[in-house]
Amino acid sequence: MKFFLPDSQDLVDPSFDFELERRSMTRQRQRDDLYAHEVFSTPAFDGLLVSKGIVDGFGVLGSRYTLSQRRRLQRDGAPRFFRLDNASYPLEIMGDCGAFTYVDEEEPPYSVDEVLAFYESCRFHYGVSLDHVILEFDPAADAPGAEEDVIPPAIRARQQLTLERAREFLRKHKAGGHCFKPLGVAQGWSPKSYAAAVKALQKMGYDYIALGGMVPLKTQEIRLCLEEIQAVRKPGTRLHLLGVTRPEHLQEFSRLGIASFDSTSPLRQAFKDARDNYYLDGHKYTAIRIPQIEGNPDLQKKIFAGQVSQERARQLERECLESMRLFDQGRRTVRQTLEVLLEYERLYDPDAKQKRNDHAAAYEQTLENAPWRRCACEVCGKLKHHVILFRGAERNRRRGFHNIWTLYRQMHERGLGEGSPFQEETGARARRAKARAHG
Amino acid sequence: MPKELKLPAVEVRQSKGRTLYSFAVDGKLVHRFATISRVSRREGQLHGYQRPEALAHIEEIRNYLESPSPMVPNAVILAFDSRVRFKPAETKPPSKEVYSRPGTIIIPMEEQPDEDKPGFIVDGQQRLAAIRDAAIDSFPICVTAFITDDIGQQAEQFMLVNSTKPLSKALLYELLPQTRAQLPSSLSRRRLPAQLMVRLNQDERSPLKEMIQTATHPTGIIKDNSILKMLEHSLIDGALYEVRKRGNTEDGLEPMMELLRNYWTAVSQVFKEAWGKPPKKSRLMHGAGIISMGLIMDDASALLMETARPPTVQQYAAALQPLEKLCHWTSGTWDFGNGRTRKWNELQNTPKDIDLLARYLTDQYRSLVKDRPQKLRRVAQR
Repeated sequence: MKFFLPDSQDLVDPSFDFELERRSMTRQRQRDDLYAHEVFSTPAFDGLLVSKGIVDGFGVLGSRYTLSQRRRLQRDGAPRFFRLDNASYPLEIMGDCGAFTYVDEEEPPYSVDEVLAFYESCRFHYGVSLDHVILEFDPAADAPGAEEDVIPPAIRARQQLTLERAREFLRKHKAGGHCFKPLGVAQGWSPKSYAAAVKALQKMGYDYIALGGMVPLKTQEIRLCLEEIQAVRKPGTRLHLLGVTRPEHLQEFSRLGIASFDSTSPLRQAFKDARDNYYLDGHKYTAIRIPQIEGNPDLQKKIFAGQVSQERARQLERECLESMRLFDQGRRTVRQTLEVLLEYERLYDPDAKQKRNDHAAAYEQTLENAPWRRCACEVCGKLKHHVILFRGAERNRRRGFHNIWTLYRQMHERGLGEGSPFQEETGARARRAKARAHG
Repeated sequence: MPKELKLPAVEVRQSKGRTLYSFAVDGKLVHRFATISRVSRREGQLHGYQRPEALAHIEEIRNYLESPSPMVPNAVILAFDSRVRFKPAETKPPSKEVYSRPGTIIIPMEEQPDEDKPGFIVDGQQRLAAIRDAAIDSFPICVTAFITDDIGQQAEQFMLVNSTKPLSKALLYELLPQTRAQLPSSLSRRRLPAQLMVRLNQDERSPLKEMIQTATHPTGIIKDNSILKMLEHSLIDGALYEVRKRGNTEDGLEPMMELLRNYWTAVSQVFKEAWGKPPKKSRLMHGAGIISMGLIMDDASALLMETARPPTVQQYAAALQPLEKLCHWTSGTWDFGNGRTRKWNELQNTPKDIDLLARYLTDQYRSLVKDRPQKLRRVAQR
């Protein structure tokens, strides 16, 4: 099974100094920054997923790219733009339309020709046909004798449109002599409707099919769909799960024909999730929040109003950082560290305790386990305790990179990955990590 | 530590009842005898007048202070209460024509809580915070002080010093090229683009000579900001980045200038009608036109530089030629596809319109030129 990481211009600045919290004055965004595959010497994913919606931006969702970056992506092609050559292992790039960016539109804002031109100019390895997401999910529509109108015509029309565009896409792909591998998209509102879409796509000639619109579904619902699809899936047909990770169920998904999936959740959880920020050994830990005063609007407002002393806030912020440093050197106990952290939390989030939202128990577990000391990835090796600090994009994103690496490793340890990229150096790395944890 | 700080100072009588003191003190000491009067409201009453420290701004000043030979010429302004005294060097009263006299200023330095300190920082809190935080032993700073027990007078001076108008961006950009010192990051990022812009506006052979509107050249027709944006795009993602990366000898700017001269000369030739007119009469000389054509410069250069570097005027002109009939810089209507059209003079200098035009032109460029590279390469090899 292959794991694709969706691109959202997630990079880290190698010049960032974690002690002084400064970066090089001459650093140029993206050019000098590093992608996850440039940070790790062992694989953390098999490829990138680049969406037209993310690159172009649509409606209120602005582009993640500057005008000139967009030009360069299309001029140089994605492999060069993303510097795939810097990865010590081969990576592939899949393109899709990013249908969620235009989900509110009646029709997709792009033509098949535009999409083909985009994939071609970006020199992707795979291109997903133009689709329109269906957000309704209602298995009742599959019940024998169910009324036609369980699913409104507008929803059925979206599936129809997706299939028509897929047909046009494949025809023009062939006629245009494009080099990338085409994928058709199946959209549906129930297990049977997904299966029908897959059947239709196979008939058109697709042998690699992406399943769209499954992001909001429960695992059980996804399973039902996959089982229904399994009944019509030809032996040579591979499936791609768009935007879904369920690490616990990958084994089962694999058996049901999922050859690849993509997900940003290991990255996002590092700084979006309330609790599960850091993955290791099947556990999820809460990162230690030490917000920057200037990055915390609520606190900033109170300081402006003169209700909180800026000096006091700065002092506590510094003490927290210092405490974590000393903790990692073994010069502070869990209890001592916790005390300072919670004192700062009471200042920036005074209601946390009342809302039962304080982090006392979660931090205690994180500190007791100090998981970063056991991790063998480059991020943890280099950052040490900084990787567990929930503070600023440079730390948070690196923690996200670590999570990606961890997920990928889990996949391979369960025998789900393709090839076994870890065998050679796993031993040496584990020994080094062990030495670090003890020393 | 002595309980009093005695420093050489000059007393200046400025107007009736208003006396100033000027002296130098180690900036690291100031927080020991002066505090910041933070604004807040207690039981409805307003206290203090200062806002909180702007940490990012302090960080910029701090970086500068830690650079090899920093200088902070402007004085910070302190207000003292009457516990601070001035002792003139001579006891003889000064004559009428003399408005200043030397002496010593004496500042109490006892350890005390903030609210009991004899001084308030009226202006310069960010500078003083940066000196306090900087990894340096000391940094003498000029102080202008007045003595008053009246908080209203302090607030009044605070408002006066902080309501000045910031320098115009145009003037800053014009001053930028001659600076060498470490500047705030927002400015230092613009230094190289500003250097190129000044040369484009001045060099004898530049097709844009005296066409760019700057502080000292108000009659130019192209806005400085449009040129700067075009240059920044290329320096980060385009042809100028490639030229710069290759490294160059003595004059680092010259290879970049040569490319810019050749390309914009070609633009002036291919779009003869639209060139050199004010933006009201030609959208080519307008932000949207300059920025879009800048992106075409990057596309065209990438293709041409495979064989020639830098490309010649003729090569660029050949690359631009197919676009000529599609452009409506001075009349007619643009057709951007999907039902989106703009009359030539409805194209605005907004991100949306710039984006629309840039996409259209670069896509057209791709389909008309890039997809027939063989022909272009032949031109390049000539």
